[in-house]
Amino acid sequence: MRPIIKVENLSKRYHIGTSAAHRGALRYTTLRESLSRMASAPFKRLSRGGRAREETIWALRDLTFDIMPSEVVGIIGANGSGKSTLLKILSRITEPTTGRVELYGRVASLLEVGTGFHPDLTGKENIYLNGAVLGMKRREIARKFDEIVAFAEIDKFLDTSVKYYSSGMYVRLAFAVAAHLDPDILIVDEVLAVGDASFQKKCLGKMDDVTKSGRTVLFVSHAMEMIAQLCERTILMKDGRINKAGPSREVIDYYIGLYNPG
Amino acid sequence: MEAVTRTEADGLAGPEPDSEQALYHLPEKPLVVIEPHSSWVALNIRDLWLYRETFYFLVWRDIKVRYKQTVFGVAWAIIQPLFLMLAFAFFFGQLVRVSSDGAPYPIWVYVGILPWTFFSNALANSGNSLIGNSNLITKVYFPRLIIPSAAIAAGLLDFAIAFALLLGFIPFYGLGLSWSMLMLPPLVLLVTFLALAVGIWTSALNARYRDVRHALPFLIQLWMFATPIIYPLSIVPPEYRWVIALNPLTGIVEGFRSALFGWPFNWGALAFSATITLFLFVFFVYVFRRMESSFADVI
Repeated sequence: MRPIIKVENLSKRYHIGTSAAHRGALRYTTLRESLSRMASAPFKRLSRGGRAREETIWALRDLTFDIMPSEVVGIIGANGSGKSTLLKILSRITEPTTGRVELYGRVASLLEVGTGFHPDLTGKENIYLNGAVLGMKRREIARKFDEIVAFAEIDKFLDTSVKYYSSGMYVRLAFAVAAHLDPDILIVDEVLAVGDASFQKKCLGKMDDVTKSGRTVLFVSHAMEMIAQLCERTILMKDGRINKAGPSREVIDYYIGLYNPG
Repeated sequence: MEAVTRTEADGLAGPEPDSEQALYHLPEKPLVVIEPHSSWVALNIRDLWLYRETFYFLVWRDIKVRYKQTVFGVAWAIIQPLFLMLAFAFFFGQLVRVSSDGAPYPIWVYVGILPWTFFSNALANSGNSLIGNSNLITKVYFPRLIIPSAAIAAGLLDFAIAFALLLGFIPFYGLGLSWSMLMLPPLVLLVTFLALAVGIWTSALNARYRDVRHALPFLIQLWMFATPIIYPLSIVPPEYRWVIALNPLTGIVEGFRSALFGWPFNWGALAFSATITLFLFVFFVYVFRRMESSFADVI
């Protein structure tokens, strides 16, 4: 059987830059900085060789793996191990620096709950907008509309702007739309921990249905129990590389063992 | 896209390991290949077509949101050009007595304000569109060209409403219908494409360099003075006229007036505008595509 996702020698380098560190959260550059850097770069390189080394970081290093159709794969690892970068590349949000990915199916990615929600639009309008942004067709949304509303339990507030929603209502609606996506490959970042206990249970149930429907799912989470429950195989990432891959229980035990020696 | 077919996968409780092949007919070639971009990037028309509904919904959202929680609602589309017209008609028509090539100044200036208001709003909206939608850019994929384009397309509704007001003026000023009005659709198309070209480029620049956000309003203002909107090209001394004529909007604004007042068209100027517009459009779309891959990392 052929893989549905084929990843070969994938690497991603980010420029962090010493100047960027000074600016902190302000990651964008101004034209003047760009010009002055352009003008001064050759001299800097002359004066201290290897300056480029301290300005970049490899978020992913030479990753190679395959995912088979209908597989449900968990991805775990400490913060900064490259999980999110990997998902972003697979979702085509950012480009790899080297390497190649081949996708043999339609991808929908769920990196955040409520992407594209507009506070001034009503619940109903946001269902359509959010669905479209996530890649659903208008007819598909219309067909699933009642199901989405029922799942979110917001039918009384359909014509209210979502800015007046409680945060619980907001995430319930957002998750409901996302849960009704129907792609070949579903990529999910830590987004399931939303709502109160009963809604979380419902979410997990829905995810369970999704994973059993023959869809290929990639699933990033820090919730090990959830991974163990939903995924048959798990990939552990460390410093942009695959540290260990195999049956979920095994990998999770290994991962927990790393931090609890003896 | 439809090459991938899942055979009733939804109805199954769970796939047995050996039934997986029946569930998926994987296409021979990958649907998507993700690689570092090469130096030449073609305009991916297939991708734009696949995501046409995203475009439609972004236009719809921009229109819906624009007049939410306003008292006057969609009347704003008329208020802006109408009050500009009254101000210009008073200061330049009455006080300074600027020539309007023989037409009544108020309606003459309104015909210039129409494409200008559309163009300047389109530029301002699309220029800030990528930044305004950064939450989308960092979380979902779709061709990024859709964002500035949708911002411009949404402005066409305002343009249509302001144009309807103009039609109301026509009998009032005793203007008749004429064949030259048939030039209006191509002129609207032309000004839309010019706005697209410049808007696409500014939005991309703005994502990288926030200077654009500060420069844009003031450059738009300067551009207005470089376009014969409150004055006719005929009062510009011949030795300076070429400067104004280099502006691709000049031919378009003059074209709108010729079409509505039944004056002879300056075909040379129109051909020049069309050529510049086409060139800018192709070039700026190319520039946008070159920068597109880094948007999620820099925005």
